[in-house]
Amino acid sequence: MSPALRKLLIYGAMAVAAFVFVLPLWWAIASSFRPNDAMFADLFPFTPRALLPEPFTVEAYVAIFERGFGAIIANTLLVAGLTTALGLVVNALAGYAFALFEFPGKSAVLGIVVVSFMLPFEAIAMPLYSVVSQLGWIDHVAALVVPSVANGLAVFLFYQFFQQVPKDYYEAARLEGAGWLRILWSVYVPLSLPTCISAGLMLFIFQWEAFLWPLLAMPAQQFKVIQVGMAAFQDQYTTAWNQLFGAAVITALIPMLLLIPLQRYYVQGLAGSGIKG
Amino acid sequence: MNRSPVALLVLTLAPALLGLAIFRAYPIGLALYESLYTTIAGERTFVGLENYVGLLTDSGFWKSLRVTLWFNLIINPLQVALALALALMFVQKLPGMAVFRLLFLIPIGISLPVAVIIWRIVLLPEGFLNGALGAIGLGPYRFLTSPDFALYSIIAIATWKGISYWMIFLVGGLQNIPPEINEAARLEGASAWQRLWLVTLPLLRPTLLFVLVADITINFLLFAPVFMLTGGGPRGSTNVLMYEAYKSGFVFGDMGRAMAIVVCLVAMLLVIVAIQFRLLSSAPAKEAR
Repeated sequence: MSPALRKLLIYGAMAVAAFVFVLPLWWAIASSFRPNDAMFADLFPFTPRALLPEPFTVEAYVAIFERGFGAIIANTLLVAGLTTALGLVVNALAGYAFALFEFPGKSAVLGIVVVSFMLPFEAIAMPLYSVVSQLGWIDHVAALVVPSVANGLAVFLFYQFFQQVPKDYYEAARLEGAGWLRILWSVYVPLSLPTCISAGLMLFIFQWEAFLWPLLAMPAQQFKVIQVGMAAFQDQYTTAWNQLFGAAVITALIPMLLLIPLQRYYVQGLAGSGIKG
Repeated sequence: MNRSPVALLVLTLAPALLGLAIFRAYPIGLALYESLYTTIAGERTFVGLENYVGLLTDSGFWKSLRVTLWFNLIINPLQVALALALALMFVQKLPGMAVFRLLFLIPIGISLPVAVIIWRIVLLPEGFLNGALGAIGLGPYRFLTSPDFALYSIIAIATWKGISYWMIFLVGGLQNIPPEINEAARLEGASAWQRLWLVTLPLLRPTLLFVLVADITINFLLFAPVFMLTGGGPRGSTNVLMYEAYKSGFVFGDMGRAMAIVVCLVAMLLVIVAIQFRLLSSAPAKEAR
């Protein structure tokens, strides 16, 4: 195969893939700016005008926020923000301990931590409901935040990074009389900023995308997070297509705003865990 | 600092380990425990293995297990193959790659429920896909309400959403293969196809196995699309075990049966994870990690 033909084939394949990824999204975005009765216009017979927001209106977005979507976004930001902040502290501390201290049974405990992240949250969501109801947290924000704070993957990411920091740094700081917390804060944390971003993004996105657990843990639906809110919206306003699209667009937009500038860290964090896993 | 290392260890490790113990390990134990009980009119009674025995003779469970296995038999190889194809494109060094890389990453920012809502409307009989297919004289199809299509529509949606995520791991694995190896093979006269099969894929084996098993784990427990799109129907064609368990516990209030199903699911998964560790530790291409 000539190099030119090979290049052409690669570009062709990439264009097909990009097309499949983008087209449904594009249609959703364009249609969210259409009035509801024009949602399926230009499809039968099919014309490319179906991909344009014509006639243009923002009524779908106005209606979504009138129906309380703003509060749902705020709720989710609160849950995801709290989980990220607490998760960074808790998991970085554990990663630090695993990286720097020797203790009996360390590799076994670390192994269990690593295995714990291979078992997805969905596997334990239903029994977790029993645990959380024993704690009396059903329908409380704590039910959404606390169980998600400790995260095996985040511990592992910090462990992996801290382990690579030369031990001399630690020893030197010890000799200068710094305590372990000072060393963590002023030596290790500044070095590990990329890991903090990777782990933080992971915790945030995990909460932003959570569906089954909030569905089970908040049965009263007084405090709705975004994915559940969107699904409820779908049940309630079955044929308000443009509003459903608008809700979906907003729900996708917020993590995108974080992921696009920070994609490098997210990709590195995930890729690193997979290779070592 | 005069704190002894023990106090230090407890202080640093306790929050994370307690969290994992209470919210990860304990629920597994609790599922086992609760699967031995049954709740009738709010009264919990110990029934031993009756919930499990009940499952064995329950045609609903077997049908759901068949749906789950068939679903996984299709979706996992499909997702890993497509993710690998995407990853091989992602690492190309060609002009304009930055744009394609960004486009390939888009579905990562999209949650499964969002993907479900968008695709649900795209797949309506009067929706975008049927419109586009109509232009070439096909359809309209009832993608979500026909028992012949619904499961495959869910597979398509989950695949659309999932493969970018798995691509990232494979890209990481590909970038860890020293370029000199491929270069040497090229100088020896190996074609691109031969280099893929004889050099890249064997060296990528640990990553591929990791992705395959992690993907199986996710897909075994897939819930949101079934809940949001089909409710297990039409005619039970999308009723995966995860949804069957949810219905048992949270719709019909039979927690014992729900937990028994969850225990079966997790047991199947543990077997898969165990197989993964076996295969990974015997992987000959360890250097590539």
